[in-house]
Amino acid sequence: MIAETPYAQMLGICSLDAGVLMMPVSPDLEGRPGFLYGGVIASLLELACLEAVALELGGVDRRPRPVNISFDFLRGGEMADSFAQAQIVRIGKRIVNATALCWQGDRDKPIATARMHLMLD
Amino acid sequence: MTQEEDLFERLKNLPPRGHHAMLGLYSVADGPDWVEMACPYDPRLLMDADQGLVASGPILSLIDAAAGAAVIARTRQWRPMATLDMRVDYLRAARVGQTLHARATCHHLTRQVAFLNCEVHDGSPEDRVASATLSFFFMDEA
Repeated sequence: MIAETPYAQMLGICSLDAGVLMMPVSPDLEGRPGFLYGGVIASLLELACLEAVALELGGVDRRPRPVNISFDFLRGGEMADSFAQAQIVRIGKRIVNATALCWQGDRDKPIATARMHLMLD
Repeated sequence: MTQEEDLFERLKNLPPRGHHAMLGLYSVADGPDWVEMACPYDPRLLMDADQGLVASGPILSLIDAAAGAAVIARTRQWRPMATLDMRVDYLRAARVGQTLHARATCHHLTRQVAFLNCEVHDGSPEDRVASATLSFFFMDEA
């Protein structure tokens, strides 16, 4: 779902099972030399949150509006394929609380996490 | 400090590379503790072409870029650093076709941490698209 959007395609993102998004490494995603750019790690986490909400709602017809998002950057991102998956913590009538994890080789060593609030129309 | 020794001026004039180049980010203006950078509109930055919905991801990258530059504007030196955290409030949707502007200010420095805020607009600074706070950690020993 989210992987089909123009922006996700620009980043080369594809969706795997169970809401996992994969972003293949590319020189276009580099920040300081030798490291993945923090902004694209953040973008991948945010897209994973949107993917989880779309899966929960059964499609993208009802687009949630982002309210805010916070990121913790835990490790420098290597120039390697990156993965992200989000969990819906709570889905209410108007507000969705989501958390997301981004990892590379080892899921138990996440490189960044996110916490996001979204609003449903 | 002479112009030749001013690392910030030198870095500012380097051609963009990596993801900065992909987004076409460029510097607009700067001061002793702040930097304004911009991200030109590109249809690839859309979330939904039919609904004219601009993705928020490029806003995140623009904020990170402006904030990193603002740290160097304030310190006037290169110290290896990493973004510790970033929080972004989305105040309204960005408009299709508009260049995004982010102005980041490094409002406080300690030996190991830089504290910043950043305001994003898409044409008029008083009508903000997003507002962010960030902290960066210096990885060297001060």
